[in-house]
Amino acid sequence: MVGPTTGPHPRLQPTRRKNLEFEPLSTTGLILEDRPASLPAKSEEEAQRHRQEYNEMVAEAKRRELKDAQRKKRQMKERLKQEENIARAMLIWNTEVLPNWESMRNTRRVRELWWQGLPPSVRGRVWSLAIGNELNITPELYDIFLSRAKEKWRSFNETNSLSENEDCGTSLADRESSLDLIKLDIFRTFPSLYIFQRGGPYHDLLHSVLGAYTCYRPDVGYVQGMSFIAAVLILNLEEADAFIAFANLLNKPCQMAFFRVDHDLMLKYFAAFEVFFEENLPKLFQHFQTNSLTPDFYLIDWIFTLYSKSLPLDVACRVWDLFCRDGEEALFRTGLGILRLYQDVLLQMDFIHSAQFLSRLPENTPAHTLFSCINNTHMISSNRRWNQVSAAHTKTISTFADKVGSPALRS
Amino acid sequence: MAYAYLFKYIIIGDTGVGKSCLLLQFTDKRFQPVHDLTIGVEFGARMITIDGKQIKLQIWDTAGQESFRSITRSYYRGAAGALLVYDITRRDTFNHLTTWLEDARQHSNSNMVIMLIGNKSDLESRREVKKEEGEAFAREHGLIFMETSAKTASNVEEAFINTAKEIYEKIQEGVFDINNEANGIKIGPQHAATNSSLAGGQGGQQAGGGCC
Repeated sequence: MVGPTTGPHPRLQPTRRKNLEFEPLSTTGLILEDRPASLPAKSEEEAQRHRQEYNEMVAEAKRRELKDAQRKKRQMKERLKQEENIARAMLIWNTEVLPNWESMRNTRRVRELWWQGLPPSVRGRVWSLAIGNELNITPELYDIFLSRAKEKWRSFNETNSLSENEDCGTSLADRESSLDLIKLDIFRTFPSLYIFQRGGPYHDLLHSVLGAYTCYRPDVGYVQGMSFIAAVLILNLEEADAFIAFANLLNKPCQMAFFRVDHDLMLKYFAAFEVFFEENLPKLFQHFQTNSLTPDFYLIDWIFTLYSKSLPLDVACRVWDLFCRDGEEALFRTGLGILRLYQDVLLQMDFIHSAQFLSRLPENTPAHTLFSCINNTHMISSNRRWNQVSAAHTKTISTFADKVGSPALRS
Repeated sequence: MAYAYLFKYIIIGDTGVGKSCLLLQFTDKRFQPVHDLTIGVEFGARMITIDGKQIKLQIWDTAGQESFRSITRSYYRGAAGALLVYDITRRDTFNHLTTWLEDARQHSNSNMVIMLIGNKSDLESRREVKKEEGEAFAREHGLIFMETSAKTASNVEEAFINTAKEIYEKIQEGVFDINNEANGIKIGPQHAATNSSLAGGQGGQQAGGGCC
């Protein structure tokens, strides 16, 4: 529908309108008022048509407004319901679950509540509790390692570059040299959020947490992907708590295997993943096999960043909720959920398209459909659960290169 | 789209030198000032024309951090071309070229064409590595060399295409055994039909890929 000001008025020459001394104040003015004295009067026929067009426009606008209002009402109702649910869940978490954490965390009721996603206000707290603090890190310890990192950074700056000999991989046990790499990655972490940019509110915080970790675990050092994990924790926890959760989370067997880039162990995880892949999505599994699309092409990114780089942040947080509830199994189950969600598109794609698709998932991946796909993914194979399958795979794999480096060119 | 040949490329080099930005400029003709960091490997593809022949480039863009070196090593296999990238504003990325080159030579096919790229040529005021140094390194190691800017797109097209030309020449000279896919070259579907030695195996694979 064309608006009256721009609509075609056959006898109203645009060139003449430009010469008008005044412009009508509104579209109503244009339609209802007679023409200004400088113009010839409307014919009855034209006036009639204008009135009719105008009435149609008004009716159409009213219809639209009504529809809009109904939609808004629905949305509002939904949001209210959601807010009510969150408020109710928050109350349960705060008054029942958190005070009785150890006895309640594994009850069916809490697990079901947990599945719905944690309310943002208790999320950090629940994550902290679920991740635990096996390493017994205190805020004081964090301060100590942070000072050490700061000292190192100062000396880098003074020598005006990272010490060349240190960084050529001469001493693998001391990866503190990776300290200097952190600054290259901070602003490349969630660039669209802007808060980790240079001068952004969380830039220094992320830098500190990663620096302190590198000094705390020089045997692991800073490895790309960590910045995403630390960033998600910083968004949900206070600085020292974020560090404690970060160090303990990375200390879990699966994360250690990946961040130390331990091939044999990574392969074990990939192989176990493929067992459940074949079980859950046999058609897609076969299709990937034919195209030599091995799990390393997509799982490396997903596992290293715990999906925070590939899924929208709110969806990723729900995956983290599940990860905190179910452990590493949840990560691989989520991967299968994603594959299930996009199975139909992926079945139409060749190697390069699938690989591209999986390394850049659609930005609007919706939480509820993804989670129903995760829900439909069963982590049981021949009566064995994830842990049993992954443990059984330790011995069966020889080397990483043999498996993923298939010489055949993929197309 | 049908192609005469498919070449696999791998992009390597230190973290933050602009590997993903070069790829994005080449495939999408745009520059993203702040690019996500690459973890593991990402992919790009584009069709180019050389000597009147359609050639599909399949490009593997790898993570640059040293820790990932052991993962990326397995991705060299089957690559016909490599773009080895350093940042002209960061001397250390140039100093690490030797290790990258050793890695590449050790894990790839000996005929793999390597293009040395000094990226970020738009940042002249912050230059730490002279163009002559890049040229000298390339000469010494038998590489092709170019300075590029993923930001202004200067030489980006040329870098990818010149590498392909070199590979194409090697095919014409018979240096590459094109029937062995381990060399990173694959004959396109319509050519394969006339080439019985390639008929088996992967025939069905091209079915899905409509465009490049």
